Amino acid sequence: MLQHPRTNNCGITHSSIVTCLGYGRSSHLLALREGRSGLSNNHGLDLQFDCYLGKVPDVEGIGFPSRVADFDNRATRLALAALVTDGFEQAVLKIRNRWGADRCGIVLGTSTSGVEMLEKTYKAIPENGAMPEDYSTRHHDNLHAITTFLQEYLGFTGPGYTISTACSSSAKALVDACQLVESGLCDAVLTGGVDSLCMTSLYGFESLELMSKVPCRPCDASRDGLSIGEAAAFMIVERDADGYLKLSGYGESSDGTSMSTPPPDGSGASQAIKAALERANLTPNDIDYVNLHGTATIVNDSTEAKAVETAVYRSVPASSVKGAIGHTLGAAGAAEAVFCQYALEDEVIPGNTGLIDLDPALLPNVSESCRNGQLRHVISNSFGFGGSNCALVLSR
Amino acid sequence: MKQNSLFLDRATIVSPHVNGWDEFLASLNCQDVISFEEDWRAQLESLPMRSRRRLSPQILLAISVAEKIHETLPKETAWVFASSVGEGETLNVILDALGTPEKAIQPLRFQNSVHNAASGQWTIAAGVKCPVTSINAHNYTVGAGFLKASMQIKSENCPVGLVLYDAPLPYPLSASHKINIPLGVGFALKPEPSANTIAELKISYCKTPNPMPFASLPQIPENSYNPILAVFPLLKCLAGSPQEDIFLGLNKDYGLCIKVKQL
Repeated sequence: MLQHPRTNNCGITHSSIVTCLGYGRSSHLLALREGRSGLSNNHGLDLQFDCYLGKVPDVEGIGFPSRVADFDNRATRLALAALVTDGFEQAVLKIRNRWGADRCGIVLGTSTSGVEMLEKTYKAIPENGAMPEDYSTRHHDNLHAITTFLQEYLGFTGPGYTISTACSSSAKALVDACQLVESGLCDAVLTGGVDSLCMTSLYGFESLELMSKVPCRPCDASRDGLSIGEAAAFMIVERDADGYLKLSGYGESSDGTSMSTPPPDGSGASQAIKAALERANLTPNDIDYVNLHGTATIVNDSTEAKAVETAVYRSVPASSVKGAIGHTLGAAGAAEAVFCQYALEDEVIPGNTGLIDLDPALLPNVSESCRNGQLRHVISNSFGFGGSNCALVLSR
Repeated sequence: MKQNSLFLDRATIVSPHVNGWDEFLASLNCQDVISFEEDWRAQLESLPMRSRRRLSPQILLAISVAEKIHETLPKETAWVFASSVGEGETLNVILDALGTPEKAIQPLRFQNSVHNAASGQWTIAAGVKCPVTSINAHNYTVGAGFLKASMQIKSENCPVGLVLYDAPLPYPLSASHKINIPLGVGFALKPEPSANTIAELKISYCKTPNPMPFASLPQIPENSYNPILAVFPLLKCLAGSPQEDIFLGLNKDYGLCIKVKQL
């Protein structure tokens, strides 16, 4: 049996988020309370199918610093947008000065990095032509490019690497941030996830017939698929952070059955949730809210409900925020961890935006609207292609 | 980071001319990995032929490495797959498809385009239920892979199968994504020694020494680059070559120092 020793010293001291709902804490809390969705079919992308997308506004207008101009693409612009939101960059620099640059690490999760720039470059190549000599994979489509950008922009010299496990990427990045702190290798780790809208993801999910033509409706009886979004979400995981929220537990597992479809009984997902509870030294009854991965596909929502019922309890308050921000893929784990942070700090149970008729076969305690509620421990689920499962426990 | 002791039960290498540890021991010659035929594919045992045909050279390479260390590891083993590019061939296929009027991406290609396609396919082939991670740190991918493996072993107190792999991309991406030779290397690592243990690896975090990593590599032609070659000094040390401490870079300033004790 794998052992899951307690997670003791991983505080979450700062965070930032940009999604289609806007930039930062106040935009997202307001949208949560209003039950507003940022999904829109007025996305401006040249697609051959109808869909609603969660596109972050005003990314093109961000001034990109000349000293790191080689990294300029949509994904790094999203990362930059998150840095300059809610005073995050200033907080990061203070942390670097406090602990020393070599004690500060970076672990990010992404599924596509700057592939959107590669798509544009590739499209411009004449038939049988060569890649432009000045195109740099290191600065754009390499999955480590955003992490490298942040290392160079912020002057972090501690360990840095990138997790890429599809839609569980940035949840697993938080796991690694915690491991780096608990191993004593780092005192603080900038962690999170970034993924931008790109043709590879959009046409890819369309090929799997998983894209909804309407704003996605997780947990709804009439749900018919995903809406894709983009996001950048960062957290600082820091040691000795008394008085802050804790990443009190995490659990990981593999389905080992299919690249894109979970086993119907949700056994892999429930294994990850149980491991997270064990590491947090909590029982199922200690959990006040579950942020569902909740992609709004028929199979995924059904499987997750079984996993939560098995590992937590059937009536636990739960919701998916993907009806508000879309499925932000590799950034989803971190973005939704930030939502959980807001829920804990502001004592709100996020609503399940877009819900009309709750599927009676799923969890019963899912509300379309945001509710007030004192929360102490919450779980956030993330699952990805390759049968990659990750559950986080955040506590206050 | 305090010095971590990991115990190595098996190392392996897969390349066009060196298939497994025994062949590596027989040659100990980096030149053997350099020349290869373009249609070379790693050979698998764990997947039926029909499935193998659907998989990219990168996935075949990674699974071939995992197969060679799998039998020394128990069922409850976590896995770390590390690659500086991952699914480069599939990316090329998708980009070509996006350039057509129909923009028709094959569903199987898309689900195998993710960086963790190799690790995901391995979990299916071997029925793995434990944590599996897929990481990338560009030219520092080998160091990051060892770092993650050592943390996973310590945090879960479990064995870890570490798979390092990269394979060349097709034209035109081959010009911008410079991986010139296929190479996969695997390590079966455990928190405690076993009857099969061949070496103890004492790993610590240290400043980058002078000379820089790669300096201790045999002479490799410029057109034979693969970031996984960074692990060769460790392989040669394990094979018995006298070596000082092995260094695996994590960035330009810091990396992992590994002391090898043969057992």
